[in-house]
Amino acid sequence: MIDYEAIVIGAGNGGLAAAAALARGGARVLVLERHNIPGGCATSFCRGRFEFEVSLHQLSGLGRPEFPGPLRGLLQNLGVLSKLEFVEMENLFRFIVPDKVDLTLPANRAGIIRVLLERFPDEKGGIERFFDLVYRFFQEVISAFYLRDPEVTPEKYPLYFQYAFRDSQSVIDEYFRDPYLKLTVAGYWGYMGLPPRLLAFSDLAALLFAYIEFKPWHLKGGSQALSNAMAAAVLDAGGEIRFSCGAERIVTRDGAVQAVVTDRGEEITTRYVVSNASAVATFAGLLDDGEKRKEALKEVRGAVVGTSFLTLYTGLRCPPGDVSITETTNFICTSTDMDRDFALCRTLDVSEPPLIISCYDVSDPDFSPEGTCQAAIVTMKYAEPWLRVPPEEYAAEKYRSAETILRRIEPHFPGFTANIEEMEVATPITHMRYLGHPGGSPYGFEQHVKDSTLFRNPKPPVKGLYGTGAWYGMPGYQPTLTSGAAAARAILREMSRKENAR
Amino acid sequence: MRPDILTKIEGYDRVVRERETCRKYGTDFSVERGAVEEYVRRLHPDRMHLKVAEIIEETPSAKTFRLVSPNGPLPPFQAGQYVCVYCDIGSVRTGRPYSLSSPPGHRGYYDITVKAVEDGFVSDHLLNDIRRGDILETSGPEGHFHFNPILHDRALVLLAGGSGVTPFMSMIRESLESGLERTFWLFHGDREPGEAMFREELERLAARFTNLRYIPVIENPSPGYGGACGYITADLIRREIGDAAGKTFFICGPGEMYRFCIPEILSLEVPAGKIRREVFGPPKSISRSPGWPVEVREDDRFIVSVKGGKSIPAKAGEPLLVALERGGIVIPSLCRSGECSQCRLKLLAGRVYQPEGTPVRRSDRQHGYIHSCAAYPLEDLEILL
Repeated sequence: MIDYEAIVIGAGNGGLAAAAALARGGARVLVLERHNIPGGCATSFCRGRFEFEVSLHQLSGLGRPEFPGPLRGLLQNLGVLSKLEFVEMENLFRFIVPDKVDLTLPANRAGIIRVLLERFPDEKGGIERFFDLVYRFFQEVISAFYLRDPEVTPEKYPLYFQYAFRDSQSVIDEYFRDPYLKLTVAGYWGYMGLPPRLLAFSDLAALLFAYIEFKPWHLKGGSQALSNAMAAAVLDAGGEIRFSCGAERIVTRDGAVQAVVTDRGEEITTRYVVSNASAVATFAGLLDDGEKRKEALKEVRGAVVGTSFLTLYTGLRCPPGDVSITETTNFICTSTDMDRDFALCRTLDVSEPPLIISCYDVSDPDFSPEGTCQAAIVTMKYAEPWLRVPPEEYAAEKYRSAETILRRIEPHFPGFTANIEEMEVATPITHMRYLGHPGGSPYGFEQHVKDSTLFRNPKPPVKGLYGTGAWYGMPGYQPTLTSGAAAARAILREMSRKENAR
Repeated sequence: MRPDILTKIEGYDRVVRERETCRKYGTDFSVERGAVEEYVRRLHPDRMHLKVAEIIEETPSAKTFRLVSPNGPLPPFQAGQYVCVYCDIGSVRTGRPYSLSSPPGHRGYYDITVKAVEDGFVSDHLLNDIRRGDILETSGPEGHFHFNPILHDRALVLLAGGSGVTPFMSMIRESLESGLERTFWLFHGDREPGEAMFREELERLAARFTNLRYIPVIENPSPGYGGACGYITADLIRREIGDAAGKTFFICGPGEMYRFCIPEILSLEVPAGKIRREVFGPPKSISRSPGWPVEVREDDRFIVSVKGGKSIPAKAGEPLLVALERGGIVIPSLCRSGECSQCRLKLLAGRVYQPEGTPVRRSDRQHGYIHSCAAYPLEDLEILL
């Protein structure tokens, strides 16, 4: 009988990070990936002469070599840092509200304040105090938790205890008056899939702090380069990966993992499983123990499946400058009502909600073939409205959405549409197809504080079973990679404890 | 987080209440098993088992297989897309992509039209062994060779070689049946007049619809043949379509046809981006492709060993995917023309020839991944599946 010390189900960011860390930690590990390529969201696809980046917009937490962020060390430990080439982005984003706002926030605190003051001179005090709050809040987080202060008290960390559970909206309302300023400062809300009213201030602060301190980055070769490097790290450390082979069942006995059955019917014994499949697929689909399934699902019963995306991948037959694209990351908003924008995510409408336009070639000119560039235009969409589109209307609806979106960006990037050579539209159903996630949600459940790991145990109630990825914590590259490494650490610790006990 | 910290955070009680309330009215996800797959299957089934409802003889060497689904409407597709037909022939399991020739409006059936080719492995099997009532295993509809209303002109110049006309039949039938605003010039190259499939239907449609111009081009006409002869040249195209501006070109046929026709189209000052080409399987003779190493002959034989698996023989002139299938190793495959990357695998040792322009991801190239349907062994290989 085949036996591995650990089996990782799914080769997304979390699964690969877990597998690489396990293999490098000396565990005999097997990765099962039902797709023919590693990465999950962290992948790319080719159309014509273009290779489209699927999901990586701005890598957070990396930092420069002389001022490293947490991700740099993590990638180093996974053995992939030296295999990757990173590209630093100069700016956070260009923020456009037609006729109202058009500014570009640099990736440094003083620069941001300067740019915001130019546009919103009346809000000087609020702007300075807000970024002061973000910084002081996050410094408290770092001292208390990253540096593991044994004594975390409200007296020592007043901002943390005061703001950790605040929503972002009430905080920006407290600091700013101009709705356009609020909109700009909260611009990153799309990266968390929740509007400021629902987005924890700590999450917005984390985004701002991480991008300002450690800068936004991109990767040469895109996110597939990261996935391939992690897969190589698994193999180099003696781990195994089976592509085009999914998991069918996690076999347990007495509440502990015993084996995994593959979709080819092969039973492979193991004591540890790291699931990078969604929490729903893992518990409702894979777990064979009815009682434990109930227990695990009870933990997430109040959670809501998060948003997915509609993405227009476009390959242009000209460099970015020809269509006036000057920034890698661009946000276009039409209204200051972010709650309404969020509500629109549950409709097919793309005529109003915010758009994110990422053109990697601005910071990495050889990202696309010479003389061309690519831009991914993204807007948040839940799966429901797309699931209601009759199958025979599906393609037409994709084109309709694409046309509307292109009409909206044309005034800001004149000539864009006429220069498109290749185009592909991905819908929430596309994400369902390639990720297998409910709602096609790359972000897992909606990221409310009440469902965060502060209130829910991310460890499934089965001995030997661990979860990794957005469904068990936070979404995004840095958080999912971190969660994979953490799952591996827990397993290696457990293994060595058993070893010592023997 | 330690409870003594957590409970002291402002708003803790509120969050706990929210959590409890939401759990009370929340979702029981336990019934969601398989739900995602079920939704996706309506559009993108991984595999379908379709019944051959009819076999229509198109020409002495080509038949249309009309496929119906035993369980409800077929997934919609865009005219120009294909399905891969998987079959077991002897001990070999393989597949071949066939463009759907029926219009996409019909969700009751798919037509694929198969033409006999020299040494055809799957085509011979389909043409000789498959009967009405048999079940064919297929992929869902796939491929990117279809009209895109945002990118393409409504005036379309279609160049077909032999059975390469099948995707265009779907496009033309769809447009004429539904009255879509499109104009077509269809150049259909074939060896002899009797081999041109769909000729009668196309002549009939062209006579009835002013937005279809049908130009069969016969390579070896019998004496006295009155139509266009030889190859599809720039001159012929210009004569028929006039100004090439504002027109999008679609081309589907064997590799030799691309080599001849694409320079011809480009000479009409058509920008490269306005020429869409369908992938059309491996060329007859790979060693004539640019960059093929002169020291390797097509019938040179090598050993391919699969890491942790068996070793199989392989020929330089044959795609690695074919060698694997012959050796009883089944890996996913779809387009079999280098494009879809389903047959991606990792080369651990040895060299392969990959035709220029095969769309392999940049980091895949760096990590030694190849598309095995468009990779030819140049020495003994070790691979990882």
